[in-house]
Amino acid sequence: MLERGLEEKFYVLNLGPQHPSTHGVLRVELQMEGEFIVKADPDIGYGHRGHEHMAENRSYLQFLPNLGRVDYLHALAYNQCYCMAVEKLLELKVPERAEFIRVITCELNRIASHLLWIGAYLLDLGAFTPFLYCFDDRENILDLLDRVTGSRLTYCYYRFGGVPRDVDDDFLAGCKAFARRLRSRYRDYENLVNKNVIFLERTKGIGIISQEQCVKYGLTGPMVRGSGIPYDLRKCEPYSAYPLFDFDIPVGSTGDIYDRYMVRYREMEQSLRIIEQAVDKIPAGPIMAEKVPKRIKPAPGEVYTAVEAARGEFGIYLVSQGDTTPYRLKLRVPSFGNLSILPEIAVDTLVADLVAILGSIDVVVPEIDR
Amino acid sequence: MLLNELTQALSRLNLAQVAPGDYAKTGCHLEVEAAPAQMPEVARLMLEKGCFLESLTAVDFPEHFTLVYHFNHFRELCRTVVHARVPKEAEAPTISHIYPAANWYEREVYDLFGLKFAGHPDLRRILLPFEADFHPLRKKFAPSETPADA
Amino acid sequence: MEKKTGEPLIHLGVLEEALNLARANSLWPMTFGLACCAIEMMAAGAARFDLDRFGAGVFRPSPRQCDLMIVAGTISKKMGPAVVRLYEQMPAPKWVIAMGNCAISGGPFFYPEMYAIVPGADLLIPVDVYVPGCPPRPEGLIEGILLLEEKITGRGRLRKFRNAAE
Ligand code: SF4
Repeated sequence: MLERGLEEKFYVLNLGPQHPSTHGVLRVELQMEGEFIVKADPDIGYGHRGHEHMAENRSYLQFLPNLGRVDYLHALAYNQCYCMAVEKLLELKVPERAEFIRVITCELNRIASHLLWIGAYLLDLGAFTPFLYCFDDRENILDLLDRVTGSRLTYCYYRFGGVPRDVDDDFLAGCKAFARRLRSRYRDYENLVNKNVIFLERTKGIGIISQEQCVKYGLTGPMVRGSGIPYDLRKCEPYSAYPLFDFDIPVGSTGDIYDRYMVRYREMEQSLRIIEQAVDKIPAGPIMAEKVPKRIKPAPGEVYTAVEAARGEFGIYLVSQGDTTPYRLKLRVPSFGNLSILPEIAVDTLVADLVAILGSIDVVVPEIDR
Repeated sequence: MLLNELTQALSRLNLAQVAPGDYAKTGCHLEVEAAPAQMPEVARLMLEKGCFLESLTAVDFPEHFTLVYHFNHFRELCRTVVHARVPKEAEAPTISHIYPAANWYEREVYDLFGLKFAGHPDLRRILLPFEADFHPLRKKFAPSETPADA
Repeated sequence: MEKKTGEPLIHLGVLEEALNLARANSLWPMTFGLACCAIEMMAAGAARFDLDRFGAGVFRPSPRQCDLMIVAGTISKKMGPAVVRLYEQMPAPKWVIAMGNCAISGGPFFYPEMYAIVPGADLLIPVDVYVPGCPPRPEGLIEGILLLEEKITGRGRLRKFRNAAE
């Protein structure tokens, strides 16, 4: 614990809203004593676009493209969650081939998201080279996804009851080739990053989050897994075709930044495993459910669905009143809960460490602000 | 089993309803109705059992607001949804001293719905600019209320 | 053409032209991501697309070191004043590219009941080049930067190709 002086000893430092390490437009107001942070107060909302208000003014189908823009880095998981919510309300059954396609594309997207995080995070810590390596690998995924979804970033690929376009053999072969390629790059990453002394010094033992804090703050995703809780909805609340595949949940032990990094790093390998199994086992058959109503008008009711996105649990709480628009649609976004712990763990750290901690939360600001 | 444990513990609290949910349909294992004043008690119990606050939001119905709390558990899947009806213009007690996660969620509900939480340490707007004078997710929020141009 | 704020009072003829040539070929953009489009801006600067080929890859974190603002993403009402201030902090001569439909007109978020966003960067600051798309591909942004070069010098690289095609 630091010696706290009189009020005048503190000064206020403003980080953001335009700051390269805040990943978008986040503002953190810091009360400092010398180099140490006494109090941190994140000020969010600079990316508020009113998705939830928009949902209440759009038909179910019209809202679909928005999901790709909530968290644009793992857009397909968000597509998945919304489709699952509406499918539950409509009681649609998605054919198996479509589920497999969803799993493959969603996992590819997850790897792309993690790669981008690793690159951008190391950029925050001052390493530029990994950024180029990561983007190089990421471009390969984008090529694959571009082929089936038609866009590079803000995908809107899933539909209620399946997917609109089938994948071809070239795509499946491309997935396997990509898996081989990424595996061959691991050595580079290990040498460049995982064994880098500066990186280890800046991440080990910093920003520790205890399991108790995880419960109190409702953290999800790599934040809890870094602290040793194996909470991954793909295993805990299996959805889509995930129960059919064999994969592990990487967990950390101390809950510091390094553990969170390693969780994400190892998760890429698990995603590759899922993709390979799915490509091998993908069944033939239809890709759209039969009898998808032309006008989507679910019966009154409410539903909560959740999926594991790259940043944690993404949930949708949907209230229908039998209308063509949702009565209320709440997006439970992972970064919102994850960021709310910042004021607690930032206390008594250096500004430079705050940047490291903030990056390790992996925030996507427009997702927090919705 | 956590579900039984929770059901038993919650039914001791005199709540309006504690019933198993239809998981396949609603995604929740346990459905609870409570009065807003009972929420701190419920939250304390959930924390004791090791549940985390998954989400907190509100729905604007014509006659009242409904606060919707989702709780879940890290080790065992058991999603509990708690509905609490708050009359319009009334306040609900905060649970942010029990779950710090609720701090931001309650600010968000206040920001978007104008629903106040009694005892909240720092009830400011969170998403909209501080000087905004409207609550966009209220159903009677009309576009004319928007400030014309920024 | 409308006069932009910060334009010099005295023009130095030939020297100005030479300076413009230098400016056009070493635009320093600001790291200024607002939303989804920012990721494509990053991609444009990274391995495959490599903005450095056009001298525009030196992303600066501080507005005081930049002469190009790429407004990449949705401008919320809360962010609006900050955008204006950042623009004012940049030293002249300076240029603005509105990247993506959001920065052009509010894009997918503009509808009658909308309350949260500023529909278009040009309501706040003068914009030189508009790059449409949601998000525009990195190639699109590169074309935008080449067009800006053309605007600055009056003879960009693109014009050569276009003339050849015609
Ligand atoms: S134009 Fe599209 S991709 Fe770009 S910020 Fe707006 S919504 Fe996102």
